[in-house]
Amino acid sequence: MTDFDAIDALLAAARQPAALPPAEQRRALRQALNLSRTQLAQALGVSPSTIGGWEQGRDPSGEIREKYAYFLTGAQKRLHTPTETPPHPTTDPTDRHSTTAADEDEPLPTPQPCVLCGAPATDQVEGYPQHLHPADCTPQAPNPPDTPHPEAPAPATPPPRHPQPPARHRTPQNQGRTPELITQAVHEALDTHAGDLGAATAELQRRAIPDAMALLDACRTGARYDIVGHPPLPDILRKKSAHGADEVWEARPHWARHDAPPGTTEITALDINGAYLSALKTHLPLGALEHSTGNVHSRRRSGIHLITPPDWDHHPHLPNPLGNREEPGPVWVTEPTLRLLQRLATEPYGPLCDPPVIHESWTSGSTEQLFEKFRQTLRDAREKAITEEDEVTLEYVKSMYSKFVSTMGESNYNRELYRPDWMHIIRSQAFVNLWLKAHKAHTAGLAVMRVMGTDELHIAGDWRQAFTEGRDVTQVKVKDVYTLPAGRH
Amino acid sequence: MPDRTHDFGHYGAKGERGSEAAARVLDSLAGYIASPLTSPRGLSARLRYLTRSAAGHNAIRQAGITVTPRTLKAWLTGTQRPNKANLAKIDTAYRTLRRHNVARHLLRRLNANGGTRVEIHPLDQSHVPAPHQRVLEYRRLNIRTWDAIIDAWSQGDPQALDSAWIDQIVNLGSQWGKYEYVTSVGFAA
Repeated sequence: MTDFDAIDALLAAARQPAALPPAEQRRALRQALNLSRTQLAQALGVSPSTIGGWEQGRDPSGEIREKYAYFLTGAQKRLHTPTETPPHPTTDPTDRHSTTAADEDEPLPTPQPCVLCGAPATDQVEGYPQHLHPADCTPQAPNPPDTPHPEAPAPATPPPRHPQPPARHRTPQNQGRTPELITQAVHEALDTHAGDLGAATAELQRRAIPDAMALLDACRTGARYDIVGHPPLPDILRKKSAHGADEVWEARPHWARHDAPPGTTEITALDINGAYLSALKTHLPLGALEHSTGNVHSRRRSGIHLITPPDWDHHPHLPNPLGNREEPGPVWVTEPTLRLLQRLATEPYGPLCDPPVIHESWTSGSTEQLFEKFRQTLRDAREKAITEEDEVTLEYVKSMYSKFVSTMGESNYNRELYRPDWMHIIRSQAFVNLWLKAHKAHTAGLAVMRVMGTDELHIAGDWRQAFTEGRDVTQVKVKDVYTLPAGRH
Repeated sequence: MPDRTHDFGHYGAKGERGSEAAARVLDSLAGYIASPLTSPRGLSARLRYLTRSAAGHNAIRQAGITVTPRTLKAWLTGTQRPNKANLAKIDTAYRTLRRHNVARHLLRRLNANGGTRVEIHPLDQSHVPAPHQRVLEYRRLNIRTWDAIIDAWSQGDPQALDSAWIDQIVNLGSQWGKYEYVTSVGFAA
């Protein structure tokens, strides 16, 4: 019987997503109430930048969507009746969860918008006004203009709140626990050094690698895939000598435009925030790499490929995505570089080049989610440290992700992971992300002057039309503004 | 033992004994001199390591090198080169001594914090006809006590190492026989 109860609960919880006002009104509603993004973000349990995204046209889903819709409808209602205090949700007459089970499914005295289609309905099920017969409900669903719009003043009623969050299939079990590892370590270090910030930072940076591994372990609790730390490595991933490199080409950009476009006055050097942190989201091979030959590529696998790179004819104004490789002929590249080249050979990009030819591959089944929780935890900790101006935590988080990436190969500083393939792939992903930012600026009509290393992008002209300034991982930081010497024009 | 493989490779499977793969990992952890024995630099480094202590001279004797102290001095100064047979013996002596010296430290690291996790990558059956292929997945196992393994490895005794390794591998459960031969094993200390 419990199975049927669970199904009943599921059916009761399954509803159409709550209607949201159009994107341009969301920001106006919030600002009309003098609420900052941060305040709203805290109340909803998301990050301020997420709110920014919703206000620019993205739509939340699931439980968060209903919370957001509840806020927006409440804001509309409050703005239309500014003088009277809105009733507290628990004493709200429209909140039917305070009513007893006996009178729950009685007909409503006045028609209220159906939660499924939005048209007036006189019946209710478990407190939600809705049509009982599908024939009344469905024909109106594809006609949103007929239904009263949520921001229409008269029938606007906040959708009833859930008595508890709807049952979800998978609840993250360590949601509250993983960020505590970071704050706890910072508190301990500050206690040990009696508030000496410099000494505490130095100690935290020293223990960043084992701490990152511990955090990774905590993030992988209940995860689907196991982390394989010591797979057999193909010879191309072995270093040729103690200080030599292996055969993989990471496509690190190192490019400068020769001639500035006429009329260029000043150039801005931009810095991409947390480039390696963002690059942790990439297709990583899970197990031991397997060899294959021929010009075939599977989107479900990831690894290292021997390719003949296509010719690049845009060098004067756009860097080669393969970096400044001078040697001709086939080259071992990683998954992100290959996928970028394949993307550039498609119609939406021009095509900018021919598709690369794959000769050999070392691949394994891949996932993009392997470090996702780890990345999100670090990103949130970084964001929080920036808002609170907590330099110690910021430095700690920074050294955690950068050292994690730089020592995950054959480094003796981190013996738990010997994955040079992951190290190359994550670095290449950072370079690909930078290249895509340069391309974004180029398509926005700006002149890209210089693309260097992991996170350096020099742009002539008004770069603000392509990027936003800030310290978020999606934003850019201005490093320097300079003018070209006279001879370069 | 019922689970032991009798005729490995009969149907085309490829792999090596788990203990051999483990010995290779232990060798890489021991950090031998990187320069090859054939280079003057590699040879003199090994000879200096062997002649620096009484245990080193003992290892030279144990390896069956019966040259006079005068010849040894000539090898060290580089005026004379050992013959082929003695070069092989020098390598054996060096490896034995290095393993012996590293063993204690390595054992402490491997046994620390409840043991070390070993990743076992199954044998390669890509050349085995489909009807004879078996389901083999990647396995991992925590080995808590490395004493017997390290002891056998440091004495350079392959049979003892193999039986010490199998003693641990049986903890994989009833399927352990599938992992007697492997592509590679991975662990770090």
